[in-house]
Amino acid sequence: MDILVGFATVLSDPWILVAIALASIVGVVIGATPGLTAAAAIAMLLPVTYHVPPLYALAFLYVIGKSGRFGGSIAAILFNTPGTSASAATQLDGYPLAVQGKAGKALKVATVSSVIGDTIGDLILIFGVAYVAQLALKLGPPEYFAIYAMAFVVIGSVIGKSMLKGLASCLLGILVALIGLDSVSGYARFTFDSFQLMNGIGLVPVMIGIFVLGEVFAQMDSMKSGQDTVLHSTAPQSAEDSQLSWMEYRPCLPVAIRSAFTGGLIGMLPGLGSAVAAFVAYATEFRRARNPEQWGKGALEGIAAPESANNAVSGPSMVPLLTLGVPGSTIGAILMGVFLIHGIEIGPTLFLTSRELIFSLFATGLLGIFCYGLIGYFGSGFVGRLIMRVPPNIIYPMIFLTAFVAAYANRSSLFDVLVMCVFGLVGYVMRKLELSTAAFVIAFVLARGAEESLRQALLLSDSGALVFFERPVALLFFALGLGSVGYRMYGLYRDKRKAAALHKTTGNAGESC
Amino acid sequence: MQLTSFFKSAATLITATCLSLSAATAAQADTFPSRPINLVVPFNAGGGVDAYARALAAGARDLIDVPVVVVNKPGAGGLTGAQSVATARPDGYTLLLTSGGSFLLNTMLNASPVDMFENFQFVSQIGQLSTALMVPANSPYKSANELIAALQENPGKLRWAHSGRGGFHYIAGRAFLESNNLTAQDVPFKGGSPARAALAGAQTDFGFMGIQQARGFGELIHPLALVADERDGIMQDIPTFKELNIPFVNIGSPVVVMAPTKTAADVVAQLNQYLEQITATTTFAELIEKQGTAALYAQPAVIEQKMLDMRTASTPVITQLTGQVQ
Repeated sequence: MDILVGFATVLSDPWILVAIALASIVGVVIGATPGLTAAAAIAMLLPVTYHVPPLYALAFLYVIGKSGRFGGSIAAILFNTPGTSASAATQLDGYPLAVQGKAGKALKVATVSSVIGDTIGDLILIFGVAYVAQLALKLGPPEYFAIYAMAFVVIGSVIGKSMLKGLASCLLGILVALIGLDSVSGYARFTFDSFQLMNGIGLVPVMIGIFVLGEVFAQMDSMKSGQDTVLHSTAPQSAEDSQLSWMEYRPCLPVAIRSAFTGGLIGMLPGLGSAVAAFVAYATEFRRARNPEQWGKGALEGIAAPESANNAVSGPSMVPLLTLGVPGSTIGAILMGVFLIHGIEIGPTLFLTSRELIFSLFATGLLGIFCYGLIGYFGSGFVGRLIMRVPPNIIYPMIFLTAFVAAYANRSSLFDVLVMCVFGLVGYVMRKLELSTAAFVIAFVLARGAEESLRQALLLSDSGALVFFERPVALLFFALGLGSVGYRMYGLYRDKRKAAALHKTTGNAGESC
Repeated sequence: MQLTSFFKSAATLITATCLSLSAATAAQADTFPSRPINLVVPFNAGGGVDAYARALAAGARDLIDVPVVVVNKPGAGGLTGAQSVATARPDGYTLLLTSGGSFLLNTMLNASPVDMFENFQFVSQIGQLSTALMVPANSPYKSANELIAALQENPGKLRWAHSGRGGFHYIAGRAFLESNNLTAQDVPFKGGSPARAALAGAQTDFGFMGIQQARGFGELIHPLALVADERDGIMQDIPTFKELNIPFVNIGSPVVVMAPTKTAADVVAQLNQYLEQITATTTFAELIEKQGTAALYAQPAVIEQKMLDMRTASTPVITQLTGQVQ
């Protein structure tokens, strides 16, 4: 029970507790501020960590990473701008709730789900670390590709009404993702000799462009044609709208728990990251939802799924980081730097040489979850009420402004601001043509990793594409993906038949009358 | 009348401002450095090159009155940050700290807006990154010669991992294969850590990666030979290709600090002197040693010659590579 020893170490040192509390606050604020990323903040704080004991530094950074992932949901819900890329899926249902004047409720759902996801993720880490480490070592490019393929399948559930338009959006996303240096051959693709494009198109400016600017342009357009343009509800808000009752959260609970395991699994695979986890969980839960018509319009489950999944990534992603030295995120890379600076060798022997330190770190993680949970739960009602008092004509420009700041600050690049504007137009045109923006963004997120792992897998294979049949884990993921497609097709078929049967009986009934 | 007096006072004000400004610049020139120095690292925080910058900033604290600020500007394999320094005001307050080998090879492989020798002058070398031939711990090949024998028996059949085709690890690996008339299939990964993980999981037969990457991985990875003339300062039990008498091309990556071409000579000399002092401090040495890489100081002329030599040595491999694609 190393974790108990860890707790004993942490709880007996008031300064670590102070560090955890401070890190929770800093993380939530940074995550909630579009453009201030947790990674940037951690990088700024990195020099400080040279001068304190390793556990203080690691605990501080680890907890910032966790609370920052949660904080990202605040901006996503209130301003439709993801504070972190991990919270991009949260805005799909979070922002509609804010528009309805239920920001407080949405924030509470995000808090509770984040806490559930994060806790489950940490428990997977603490109790499964030995097994996960063994598993992570065996997973190579073929398995990665299988998981990407499974994730691609879930796009089907956000595609909307027209299959053709959905596929077109998806292909467009893939095409944009291919811009930049090809990660396998190292040569430039679709860069038109532009040096800026060599770097590829960043996820953050694309998302802000599509979701925020695109939406604003669409709003302006409908304003011109004299339609209703209310961005935020001006209806007086009842206290109920910022409260969350157990009855309301109950249907979200299984969603949050399942999504936590989805997120945990994705976390074990370095490089996939929180954003992928959030989208996969969102799409998976949407597929099984009993109320699919509410999704995208403010379903509480639509917040619970991505928020639980993106936080559940945090814990398990420490396994490949600590045992294989492969960071799953920028924060992970910086954490690795702290280990190195303090002369702690990351690798398979870490759990033998620094067992106590590692489990103390895990204990601080659990305490950090508790801390930001408190902040989120009791702060969200207040924030929600506050934001509702601000009139729409102030909120509107504020959202616009944060979009620009966020696009610039992510990589301190003016080029990214341009990218955002271009994708604002793209988003607007896509809305006009009724193409699926969600399918576009998910395909964009997945394409690069999928391509890389597919080509690596083929390079590693003696038998071409048959390599996927030689690897049981890869085969399992392919089967899961195909299974879900099959299940969906069967469902559609059954519904059609039912409808047909119903039509028949009502038709007969009509005849007999 | 009133208008004239307004213009008069305005003119006085402007003159005064100009004078005080020029006085300020004069004072600045007299006492370089008088404001914080920005050290641009064209890679993400937390990586190997970044660690050099952080250690430098920490070491500078006791020696220079102004702070040294590390600015991470990742992108395009390090070229984004390099370009931002090349176009910065050449006053010595914006410097580039980068992996010289990767920078050079990257500009040779891709059409690049910056050139190492044209747009920059060398301030000094502060460290050295070396690459090594490694195999998984359970590999049947226990030495570099055994691996070479296997490669000769199965041309093109074995696979090797590296951190990406633009990097110096790949070029070093290619050069090793060419020098020994061997062929093998390379598998590029995105960065050193994923490449190491693939090797640790025996997904590939061998790999070329930073020697410091083997630290702590003794159970999973065995380094066989170092691409260098002399043994590594930290991993001292790994033989070099030179000792083993195996043909190779000495491609490593000096960690260098560079300034825009037009920076004044006395400012560069001053900076060089600071760097010589900082790299000699225990703060710097300890921080660098902890991450498993070496501190190594060299004068501007020495490092420039090293980079020119490396350009000559790697040209055949690069020509072959770029020829392949066309």
